[in-house]
Amino acid sequence: MKKMDSNIKRLLIILVAFIIIACVTKPTAFIKIGNFQTMAKQLSEYGLMSIGVGICMISGGIDLSTVYIANLCGILAGITMQDGGNVPLAILVGLVVGIICGSFNGFLVSYLRIPAMLATLGTYQLFMGIAILASKGSTVSGIPEAYTSFATTALLGYIPLSFVVFLLLILAVTFIMSRTKFGTRVYLVGTNERAARFAGIHCNAVLVRTYMLSGLLSAVAGLLSLARINSAKADFGSSYTMQSILIAVLGGVNPNGGFGTIPGIAIAVVILQMMSSYLNMFPGISNYYRDLIWGIALIGVLIINFALDKRRTQRLSKIS
Amino acid sequence: MNKFFKKAVKQTEFYVFLIIIVLSLVIQARSGLFFANNNIVDLLRSMIVPSIYAICALLAFVSTGPDVSFPMIAALSSYLALTVTNRLGLGGAPWIITFIIGILFGCLMGALNGVIIVRYKFPSLIVTLGTSSIFSGILLGAFEAERMDLPQNLAAFGKASLLTVKNAKTGLGSTLPMTFLIMIVLYIIAYLVLNKTIMGRGVYAVGGDEVSAERAGFNVKGIRFGIFVVNGGVAAVAGLCYAVMSMRYLPTEYAGGEMIVIAAIILGGTRMTGGIGTLKGCLLGTLLLTMVSNSLILLGISVYWQRVFIGAIIIIGTAISAIQSHAGVKVKTRLKKEAA
Repeated sequence: MKKMDSNIKRLLIILVAFIIIACVTKPTAFIKIGNFQTMAKQLSEYGLMSIGVGICMISGGIDLSTVYIANLCGILAGITMQDGGNVPLAILVGLVVGIICGSFNGFLVSYLRIPAMLATLGTYQLFMGIAILASKGSTVSGIPEAYTSFATTALLGYIPLSFVVFLLLILAVTFIMSRTKFGTRVYLVGTNERAARFAGIHCNAVLVRTYMLSGLLSAVAGLLSLARINSAKADFGSSYTMQSILIAVLGGVNPNGGFGTIPGIAIAVVILQMMSSYLNMFPGISNYYRDLIWGIALIGVLIINFALDKRRTQRLSKIS
Repeated sequence: MNKFFKKAVKQTEFYVFLIIIVLSLVIQARSGLFFANNNIVDLLRSMIVPSIYAICALLAFVSTGPDVSFPMIAALSSYLALTVTNRLGLGGAPWIITFIIGILFGCLMGALNGVIIVRYKFPSLIVTLGTSSIFSGILLGAFEAERMDLPQNLAAFGKASLLTVKNAKTGLGSTLPMTFLIMIVLYIIAYLVLNKTIMGRGVYAVGGDEVSAERAGFNVKGIRFGIFVVNGGVAAVAGLCYAVMSMRYLPTEYAGGEMIVIAAIILGGTRMTGGIGTLKGCLLGTLLLTMVSNSLILLGISVYWQRVFIGAIIIIGTAISAIQSHAGVKVKTRLKKEAA
């Protein structure tokens, strides 16, 4: 438990240091409520997907299909509510589709024993294909006002509602992962599946539920983006796949499974969003530099974690 | 013959081969155009780049784990090779010079992957995701690469064709570019190295069981590092082939090619867990996926369905091989129990 705390501490230090740098170098543009509001809106979508990817990684797998689950849910919900359709029904359709997609991933990974990366690689093509079929290859638009106003209203006049949803879901998932039987089982399955099975855990059922949760989070992300950009498309946000893996790793999730916390991922999301908003304030820096910086950050964090772990084990072995 | 057949039935490659035959017969029956000479040549043409990528993916999977950086290595090293050729005024030099420059840059980038993966033992998927992001940042951010024309030597190389066919019935023609030969040569070299040299067997040994390989005297770290360097070089060749075939360098067209290639080699029988995988399987898997994306139109199926089909094929193919390997383990444990 102590290990995770140190990781969160490290992330918080990075966050604070970054905020200070940003405030000093770009005081007028950075410290503005508008800036924070845009950041909050943007980060809730891929933040939710990163948490989905994160819990799958904790269980020892990975989910590459989150973005396409989100798009598929957005498209199906959009079609349902199009031209004066029923909005609550559409939201329900989106969430149910997300759960079904996630369970399908889980079924492939657990019962059929397909390696998670491949199974979700296949389903990502499949979901994208279904999304293209459903939207006939074009953009779904004509979303009713009643729904899109969700993205423009803000709680207490300042906090965007989508960010509130993000926060609530983080709290819920944190609770699930750290305080319930299911969460503990996910960690155990990720650390050692065989040991988990001998401990009497039904590994397949745990995995199906893990991927289902990831699918549900992606569905919410899809619904949020449907409200924000007022339309849905099958190939929207393909770069988020890589980004969400990056965030999960930055947040301290071990790609081999078993380690990582949800608050860690949430802080990593905030750091990344701040970084990219900050870089956007320099018109001279092309957007593509972001790729470079993120790549370096990912590998840098991995190496730093490695070095710190090594030092800790050395110290521990000295004590014993 | 019977023994050969029994062995074949156990291999994933055999089933892929069957699927390819059935699919091609179905397409032929529906459209009558599949076995037309221009369609076959088109198919071979679109196979060239993915099947060179497949060598990278195979080497990485068999020895270490997934490598997803090869498309970006291909893009960046071909950009550097073309720029260096233009700047140094090597446009008149033989095309192979440009290729060698590209391979050198590719090997350098592969070495970066190799160092990080071998030194720190990080999962190769995460590392190569990171490095491909870095390479893409360097290419599009630092160099601000844009589409550009090929230098003379490559343009001439691209115009030369190995074979030109024309379908007498439909009047559609297609040509097989010289890059096809490059692909064949790469496959022959890879086959010889992987199957006939100690180093090549070491690749399989390291992937199969690291500890055993080390005890048997293989240099595990050296082999893994070497694999990633070679991967960089092969990726550079694929990138230049792609530029030559499209007669132009298009920096944004490279990204995103990795997933289909990985799916193709897994369909061809390569195991995610390492140690198992053949070049034959690579070719068959690539052929199957190329056929699906090229020939669905001939079946009268709308292009919208293409993704659904590719996804379904990946899922079904991997499910079959996963169940097979699972069944294999079960049989082995039963045999062990009986022996005991």
